[in-house]
Amino acid sequence: MTLTERIGEEMFQTENPIHELNRMLVRYDLTPNQAKVYLFLSKIGVKTASEISKALKIPRTETYHLLSTLQQKGIIFSVFGKPTKFNAVGLEESLEILINNEKNRINELELGKISLIKLWNIIPKNEESEDESQNNKFQSLQGRNSILIKLEQMVKESKESILVLGTNADFKRFYFTEFIELLNNTKSELRILTDHSSDKPHIFESILPKKVKKIDDKNREDFCFIIKDDSEVIFFISDNKVKEMLAVWTDSKAFVITLRSLFSLMWKKSHHVNETDTESLLGSEITYKHRLREIEQEKRILNYLQEHFQVLENTRDKN
Amino acid sequence: MNKDDNTKRRDEILEILIIDDNEQITKMLTTFLELKEHRCTVVNDGKEGLAIVKKNRHDVVLLDLAMPEFDGYSVIKDLEENNMLKNHKIIVFTASTITQEELDDLLKRGVASYILKPIDIDVLLAKILDTANL
Repeated sequence: MTLTERIGEEMFQTENPIHELNRMLVRYDLTPNQAKVYLFLSKIGVKTASEISKALKIPRTETYHLLSTLQQKGIIFSVFGKPTKFNAVGLEESLEILINNEKNRINELELGKISLIKLWNIIPKNEESEDESQNNKFQSLQGRNSILIKLEQMVKESKESILVLGTNADFKRFYFTEFIELLNNTKSELRILTDHSSDKPHIFESILPKKVKKIDDKNREDFCFIIKDDSEVIFFISDNKVKEMLAVWTDSKAFVITLRSLFSLMWKKSHHVNETDTESLLGSEITYKHRLREIEQEKRILNYLQEHFQVLENTRDKN
Repeated sequence: MNKDDNTKRRDEILEILIIDDNEQITKMLTTFLELKEHRCTVVNDGKEGLAIVKKNRHDVVLLDLAMPEFDGYSVIKDLEENNMLKNHKIIVFTASTITQEELDDLLKRGVASYILKPIDIDVLLAKILDTANL
């Protein structure tokens, strides 16, 4: 075993810090073997493909491929001579190059997106399949992140209303996320039905109180959902005690309408967070007078109906 | 004949749409109007009411002004913006504190009439019939 081969073998043993470096370079879009070749050249210096292949115990053909890819990425270069030798660009510069490569790739994807959508739009639609897929889509969402992405997307795209029903415990996992900020900034009509305790911090405390109502304890059930524009809903199907979050997103009209009706009923029965039961009953002076007029109107219609049915009954009795 | 197609004779059966969030009033009013042999459609929500007004033609629409979520003013505003307000005979039916100035403004914009709660039931019926005959 030559000295180069011995170094190559020892370099990637688990206790060597280079092993950890190798693992970290994979995050910069390098395969484990590409990272290995790069680190080997960085430490050892100029070597031929054959020497690299032997030292790292990578088949020769694969080594050529790896070297070619690393050259294309710009983090190794060849030295003229026969046989061709290779050397690596310094680590700091290489990281810079790899980061820029990734940035360029993302920019290209962004640019490609426009052309892709243009192209997609000129392809004629199959009307039949379009109709079938228009509604009643169900998507299962597993894990906090996938649920959060969908929630944020719904709030961002909303144009009319966002209705939220759930307890602090249901939503506490979204603390310090963009979700709450998006709710705060939405131009849509926002309504939140949640539990409330004045002595504990609440995830929705930054939202205007007039948009938040307390769920009546007698009506509390363990369900949690969010409705967007009366057209989409996310329904949580795991409670807050379960570690992994699970939810279902759907645009099924029947499902959305059912939950919308439930929300409206509960909203009607509930009070605003800063309102006592007496305050909600009496309301302002204007509300109080308004209620009295409504009651008087009810009384007048009821009296008429009572008299009318009394006359009917009397006539029936006489007959 | 001088009157247009929307005009009803006083003995004709009227199609009446009631948009009011007070379920007690709408129930009693429907019973009363049906006793008088008119046909009623009831909606307890402004948004739903607006959708029905836009889709169907009723002889008279009784519209409450103070409703939660989407109130009577919003219904009027939407119809006005879509140049549809004058196509319907809308009677504002309200218990809200409202000034004569505000009522005049509503009439000027195209609302057919108004009824302030509480009102005697016979007067209410007369007002509905008068509006249908406008």
